[in-house]
Amino acid sequence: MIIKCPWCGPRDSSEFVYQGEGGRTRPDQSSTDQSAWNAYVYDRVNTAGDHDEIWQHSGGCRSHLKIIRNTVTHKVLSVVFACDTQDQEKPA
Amino acid sequence: MSPRRAASGGLIDRSRTIRFTFDGQEFTGHPGDTVASALLANGVSLFGRSFKYHRPRGILAAGVDEPNALVTVLRGEAREPNIQATMLEIHDGLKVVSQNRFPSLGLDVGALNQLASKLLGAGFYYKTFMGPVIGPLKGTRFWMFCEHLIRRAAGLGKAGLAPDPSRYERMNAFCDVLVVGSGPAGLMAAKAAAENGARVILAEQSARLGGSANWSEDTIDAMPARDWAAGVVADLTTTSNVTMLPRTSVWGYYDGNTIAALERVTDHKTSPRIGEPRQRHWTIRAGKVVLATGAFERPLVFPGNDRPCVMLASAAERFAVEYGILPGEKVAIFTNNDSAYRSAMTMQEAGCRIVAIVDVRTDISPAARAIAVRTGAEILTSRAVTSTEGGKKLHCIKVQDYDIRSGAVSGDARSIDADCLLVSGGWSPVINLASQAGARAEWSERVQAFLPPKDADGWVGAGAFNGTFSLEAALAEGLAAGGASAIDVPAVVDAALDIAPAPVFEIEAKGKAFVDFQHDVTADDVRLAHREGFQSVEHLKRYTTLGMATDQGKTSNVAGLAIMANALGKQIPEVGTTRFRPPFAPVTIGALAAERFGEIRPERLTPMHDWHVAHGATFYSAGLWHRPMIYGLPGETVEQAYVREVKTTREAAGIADVSTLGKIMVQGPDAAYFLDRVYTNTFSTLPVGKARYGLMLREDGLVLDDGTTWRLGRHDFLMTTTTANAGKVMQHLEFLLDVIWPELKVTLTSVTDQWAGASIAGPRSREVLAACVSGTAVDNETLPFMGIVYGEVDGAPVMICRLSFSGELAYEVYSGAGHGTHLWQALIEAGKPFGMVAYGLEALGTMRIEKGHVTGAEIDGRVTARDLHLDWMLSKKKPFVGSMMMDREGLVGPDRLQLVGIMSLDNLPLNGGAHIVEELDRENPHDSIGHMTAACYSPMLGRHIGLALVKAGKSRHGQRVFTSDPLRKRFGPVEIVSHHFYDPEGKRMHG
Amino acid sequence: MVDQLSPLQPVLEAGRHPLADHSVGVTLGETQPGSIVQLAAWRGQEGAAVATIRDVTGLALPDGPGSGAFAETKAAFGFAPGKFLVIDQDEGLAAIFAGAVTSETGSVTDLSHGRTAIRVGGPKAQWVLAKFFAVDFSLSAFPLGSGISTVHHDIFAQIQRTGLEQFDLYVFRSFARAFWTSLRHASEEVGYEVQ
Repeated sequence: MIIKCPWCGPRDSSEFVYQGEGGRTRPDQSSTDQSAWNAYVYDRVNTAGDHDEIWQHSGGCRSHLKIIRNTVTHKVLSVVFACDTQDQEKPA
Repeated sequence: MSPRRAASGGLIDRSRTIRFTFDGQEFTGHPGDTVASALLANGVSLFGRSFKYHRPRGILAAGVDEPNALVTVLRGEAREPNIQATMLEIHDGLKVVSQNRFPSLGLDVGALNQLASKLLGAGFYYKTFMGPVIGPLKGTRFWMFCEHLIRRAAGLGKAGLAPDPSRYERMNAFCDVLVVGSGPAGLMAAKAAAENGARVILAEQSARLGGSANWSEDTIDAMPARDWAAGVVADLTTTSNVTMLPRTSVWGYYDGNTIAALERVTDHKTSPRIGEPRQRHWTIRAGKVVLATGAFERPLVFPGNDRPCVMLASAAERFAVEYGILPGEKVAIFTNNDSAYRSAMTMQEAGCRIVAIVDVRTDISPAARAIAVRTGAEILTSRAVTSTEGGKKLHCIKVQDYDIRSGAVSGDARSIDADCLLVSGGWSPVINLASQAGARAEWSERVQAFLPPKDADGWVGAGAFNGTFSLEAALAEGLAAGGASAIDVPAVVDAALDIAPAPVFEIEAKGKAFVDFQHDVTADDVRLAHREGFQSVEHLKRYTTLGMATDQGKTSNVAGLAIMANALGKQIPEVGTTRFRPPFAPVTIGALAAERFGEIRPERLTPMHDWHVAHGATFYSAGLWHRPMIYGLPGETVEQAYVREVKTTREAAGIADVSTLGKIMVQGPDAAYFLDRVYTNTFSTLPVGKARYGLMLREDGLVLDDGTTWRLGRHDFLMTTTTANAGKVMQHLEFLLDVIWPELKVTLTSVTDQWAGASIAGPRSREVLAACVSGTAVDNETLPFMGIVYGEVDGAPVMICRLSFSGELAYEVYSGAGHGTHLWQALIEAGKPFGMVAYGLEALGTMRIEKGHVTGAEIDGRVTARDLHLDWMLSKKKPFVGSMMMDREGLVGPDRLQLVGIMSLDNLPLNGGAHIVEELDRENPHDSIGHMTAACYSPMLGRHIGLALVKAGKSRHGQRVFTSDPLRKRFGPVEIVSHHFYDPEGKRMHG
Repeated sequence: MVDQLSPLQPVLEAGRHPLADHSVGVTLGETQPGSIVQLAAWRGQEGAAVATIRDVTGLALPDGPGSGAFAETKAAFGFAPGKFLVIDQDEGLAAIFAGAVTSETGSVTDLSHGRTAIRVGGPKAQWVLAKFFAVDFSLSAFPLGSGISTVHHDIFAQIQRTGLEQFDLYVFRSFARAFWTSLRHASEEVGYEVQ
């Protein structure tokens, strides 16, 4: 599998490590909502199809990437820096 | 008549002679020969014994599709089994032996299996050896009894026990266009792509490039096809943007056009050059893949179709034209399509006599008939071969009337003398790689075969792969696949035969008719599987093992499906086909391991490594690191050495190499704030020039790691982690910074390798430092516990932090790694007057057990901070990673496994990993209440002690329990005590 | 001042190991720079970092990921978003950068002892490196002066192209000897010279 790192360009999947599902939202650091924390740590969608994922280019620039990958065909549909998407999701 | 070499012809170099041995007998051949062609040239027709029935077998095919002629290659002590004689090039000194025969190929006692063949049909193993024991000759226990004999009697070649001395390598390649197959279509595609300026790789599994051009009688561009191919190959070879890879089997097609290929670099050489690998494993990332993999001719299924000298028609053509071999004198042909007529023509021109052409069809095309007439052969339409006669060679064939509509055989059998029977059952495009890439094969009524789909992602097909059997059309497809239109398709003269076969796969008559030659699966086995209820093609495959041998059913898949479909009363496309999996051709394990063959992991060495080696250290691998275990004196045991090292350290001073500790620079205006979030305790309050012990939890509230972090500047922290967890901690922190809190201005950098670290411990450690450190004082005032100072040791700049793992007064002295050996030697010199020793991991481990400090053995991913009695480190003033999850139900409570000390009561050693039990039962150990995590002999207590995680351990201090270690047979009484064995008040450390 | 001791020093063994035809496909050596410094810029401050590198070293880095530049005794390239490796044959570069970079723009980390610099050159340099790294070393994909981060199993490497046929590799010091051994082994096939 090839992942096109937005910084390094296309690289072999062996340079990357999977770091969990991408759709999860971590509660605010000071949140005391136990169910929200439980959901963040344990709940997974596990889609058969287009799947939100976080990968780290650990054998390259070490950036974390937000990837949409089809878990049935292994086709990588989009790759962006995880830090960029995080900014958008944060309330202004 | 035996097969022989024609007086002239072939692409072999007759001016040179090569000597090799087969089953110990010397044979000769010429450069360009394979073992198959050279042995045929020498009149050998018997190549091996079949898998189950030990039937004599000869050559069926001429290339990678050969199912029968498997040999074992001997290289020194090493033996490599199951190599196709048709793919193995000869070289001087090559030694090959035949397989699955005893005592010899010609005289094989295993052939008696044929007498018992009724018992050995499909599902023999399941029926005989699975399930409950009913009488003495059934069931799993019977299998245990028979396994040894059966494994000897059935099977392919034997692997050797000697290590493989060969060298293997890996290669990464990138290209715009990868062309697989160098036949006319592939060459055309490569040429077109190269002329477009693309980076091209052309992979060909055979030694000779050109594919079918090497054995066809066609004309391209007004010259023989093989001359045209040779010209194109010569051009491409000198083109800078083209890489030619002969002897390279493309065997795997993975996601994202990642292609795996195996190049046989020196298998054909008597003596490889220095440094040349035997095989090279290529991983090719291709923008586009052109699949020009051609088609395999299929045999027909009829009784006796596996006799030596029954051969695929195209294989005979190839042997005749490429190798100058005449497979027989009196050649008969049996076909369901027109392509065999071209074969007949070729064989006749090569010098054979074509005695008969047996065709199942009623009508044949005028072109085919014209060829048949020219060969002088008797044309027998509406006829079929229903048996063959002979032993290890063919003597004659029996022909009967055949009704193509009903498939019925009738009339008297007519005997025709022939020493070679060429068979053609139609052609199957080699769609294996496309299938691996996810393409769903489509059945073609016209070609009677599975074709690749038209629309593909990442690859494009050309030539016979697409079911395109006209040479002109194949060249045009190659051009288009290579991305060209400017060049005209070269003019072509070919036999102009339509290969579309009649839908006949099997002639049902009395006798064993083989579908899968390599696994000895007959047509009756397929029908038996159907009768026993196996209806899906996947089940059929597993039950009969059809298509599961090393050839992966290259010659058998379609016939097997056709017979199954017939039994089910369905059409072939309704039955479907199985998806091909890698590898397309066998791959050596050595090639997959490549440069890691033998040496599995790279060594990671500290800056002082050579000193340790020179001073008698015994090493221990901790992850990838090599760390001194002990510095043994002559005659010392490991225990004596570490006991001495511990005693000397605790009584005077000791020095240890701690360079392996994970070190991460945490820098930036938000660094302190970040550390407050990731550590359970507070770091923002830590003054510059001081260190603090920190504990980190995972998001789920369990302990991740511990270590000290030093504040070197307002925005600069040096974090240390345990040696084993350095990478894990780094990844954890990077994830938080990059994904969760990208707004924080913090840089993380691994500086483990930047620093050499020496830990000096013991009551006299301060004196040692005072003797060698300049530029700073090291007294209690200047350098208090957890303080940091900067100075020099013998000219090398150092940073010293006073902290202790051993429980003694201790310091960690750091210098740049490049100064590590210099620093170490200076410290050793300075320590001499004080009796300082160098100590290794065993002593370090012993001292930490005596102090009850935790490491990775206790922090096993299941423990909480409270389990380790580290509650005091959990800040209540701030949230931190894991703080909301650490007190969940199940993670708190009195029955958790908690850290305790264990003391041996029988004065015998304890073992890490042993269980702790309340009731000792050697025969049937039960009810573990916990396990030992570490153990040692404590020189200070004079006892065997250890640490353990024990259920409700905290409340059990003083309890007598038992260690239970059935694997090592160590059982005995122990006492649960506090994990602080030695100096619990910490007076020594602060002294 | 004490000299740095290279981890390769005891195993370097300068000399020629040519093929039978006396040809040598690659030359291997250690460049032993006095300074290897990492410069990290906060988001939005990348331009300031590039300017600082230019001011301190005179090297002008073009825009774009992995861009770099090199001169006789100095080199610099980006190896990750906002991160640059700056190399100088002289010691003391980290201190100069520490004075030039404020906590408002980024951070400076001295790696002079932590990385070992290995130079691979010659007509077969790409061939030998391709045995280790799944990276396209062709000039079009890996232009002169530019840098990359990649990995060979456990051995992390930052690589800069410093010639049409020359690459400088920065590997973790603790792995340098293991990598060097593998590199020599892989070079045997094409003939090599250790300088």
